[in-house]
Amino acid sequence: MKTPDTVRPGERAFALLLVLFAGYAFREAYGISGFSGLTTGGVMPMLASGVMVVTALVILADTLRAPSGDGGGVRGVVAYLFPLRVVLFTALVGVYVAAIPWVGFLPASAGLLFVAIWALWRRGPVWAAGVSALSIGVIYVLFRVVFQVVLPAGSLWQ
Amino acid sequence: MEVLGYFATSWMDPYLLVLTALGTFAGIYVGAIPGLSVTMAASILISFTFKWEVTEALAVIAGVYVGGVYGGARTAILLNIPGAPSAIATALDGYPLAQKGLAGEAIGLSTVMSVLGGLIGVLALALAAPVIAEFAIRFTSRDYMLLGIIGILLVGTLSGESFARGAFAGALGVMIGMIGLDPMTAETRFTYGSINLMGGVPFVVAMIGFFGVAEALVQLEHVAATPVKQKVTRIVPAWADVRRYLGLGLKSSGLGTLIGALPGTGGDIAALLAYDQAKRSTKNSEVPFGEGAKEGLIAPETANNAAVGGAFVPMLTLGIPGDAVTAIIIGALYIHGLKPGPLLLTDTPHLFWFIVGNLTLANLFLLVFGLTGIRIFTKVVECPRAVLIPLIVILSAVGAYAIQNNPVHITWALGFGVVGYFLKRYGFQVGPIILGVILGPMIDSNYRRAMIGAQESVGGFLFDLVSNPISLVLTCALVFMLLSQLPFWRRRG
Repeated sequence: MKTPDTVRPGERAFALLLVLFAGYAFREAYGISGFSGLTTGGVMPMLASGVMVVTALVILADTLRAPSGDGGGVRGVVAYLFPLRVVLFTALVGVYVAAIPWVGFLPASAGLLFVAIWALWRRGPVWAAGVSALSIGVIYVLFRVVFQVVLPAGSLWQ
Repeated sequence: MEVLGYFATSWMDPYLLVLTALGTFAGIYVGAIPGLSVTMAASILISFTFKWEVTEALAVIAGVYVGGVYGGARTAILLNIPGAPSAIATALDGYPLAQKGLAGEAIGLSTVMSVLGGLIGVLALALAAPVIAEFAIRFTSRDYMLLGIIGILLVGTLSGESFARGAFAGALGVMIGMIGLDPMTAETRFTYGSINLMGGVPFVVAMIGFFGVAEALVQLEHVAATPVKQKVTRIVPAWADVRRYLGLGLKSSGLGTLIGALPGTGGDIAALLAYDQAKRSTKNSEVPFGEGAKEGLIAPETANNAAVGGAFVPMLTLGIPGDAVTAIIIGALYIHGLKPGPLLLTDTPHLFWFIVGNLTLANLFLLVFGLTGIRIFTKVVECPRAVLIPLIVILSAVGAYAIQNNPVHITWALGFGVVGYFLKRYGFQVGPIILGVILGPMIDSNYRRAMIGAQESVGGFLFDLVSNPISLVLTCALVFMLLSQLPFWRRRG
């Protein structure tokens, strides 16, 4: 196991968030059946969330003890955790997931592939369109025809 | 004779033969293409194959597993980019060999030694599993509970930056596994009134999110990386080389099988340990380690393939996965109504011997595919990440949807992917989360059975843990694992 010498940008805040999340999870687990018995449905969730609370506190303590690394501050956190490429791609995937029930799987996937390949590969829209069309064709044949998987249908495109 | 018939099932059935060949072939590419992983492919494959016969699904998944562990070595040798974590050690000497113009020889030698390691691992599985299963029939509910906890913690201990991170991830997985209706009382747990959540979170959806989507997001960082091309000539290794390194291959196979059989470890740890062992024990290497020593190529390659057979031992005998891929194969068995554990060998011996035969067959296919088709291979692995990353997302969407034809699962997979991305950025491994999701319900039900058996008395429960020899050994192992993570112990180490 290796431990980084310094904390990563935003790691302390992340560790604090883990503590808060673990505490919330414990409260919710307690809400299932409280301490009413040793074999109730809430015991294992309470044990698991209890482990989460303890380990999250240990992680927080570790990050507080470790020296700060380069690239701290809000800019450092944004650069480390939210690079523009990741943010935009995640947003694109979000739009894709939202579009599936509307336009259907194949058109939505073709759109995602085209935009993502065009933006990430930078070889122009013709290449992106060609590769996207080929990929969608292969996916359709492989999954719909060979594996006979039901692909998500859309309200506009079945 | 009956065993031989079960063993040869996939050898005699043309359809299974083709599926195994296809799985192995695809696995080599999956393992080799940086950005794709065997765990990712296996988790997506489960969602497509769950309606198939169990033997058909296993034939493909086992083929992908065997091929994938080997495939990582090819890009490690050719591009200095390990296609899989198990090939990290391979790159240390494999790439310098390629730089010297010996890429073909390095690939050939690694192929033959990978097959040797793979076959020894399968032999160990065939010999050890029935003995362990015979013994494991005596396990009680509390033993299974302890095994489940040990399995999650071992993965957490060995695969992340710190034990606390591993344990947190494992506990988070258990929590995700608890979502839905309590199977014993039908009480709702973390459902917030949602009908979708009442059915629980299918672990395949969690797997696809944490392994597929999260990995795609992490890979975005390396999207512009351009691979270096190598010239590949003669690939079939010289017989003298194979004979010369056979001893090292056998030793590394033994080590790899043992490491693979430990719950929570896998090909990556086996390869690194075998590399280290070879470095220490090799006295007169022609070339220093790190500069193209063939010993440094052979040891990790033999060990990581041997670990495949080893990883099946705890999975099939105890229901505890040896690594992340066997965790997924456990999932596949559950989906097909089978319960991995000691009874699997007694109730369905045909399935056990089928797996042994199928892994052997996959290794033989590995030899064929490993020594051929290198020109096409070098073209395919140059596939840019800019194309791969959106494709992974689309495959993840199909996989998540295919489980129950529920579009909500696509959203969940994306959500798990985003959470997995943040966790990975801060040094958390997602393997323990998946193990927690799979083993959590098993730990829960066995804990409750054991506690009911102790008449809901904490004292009685604790007494049971130390009064039975098997439980005592497992309790000691668990306590030792926890103690070994305390600061004073680690300082002494």
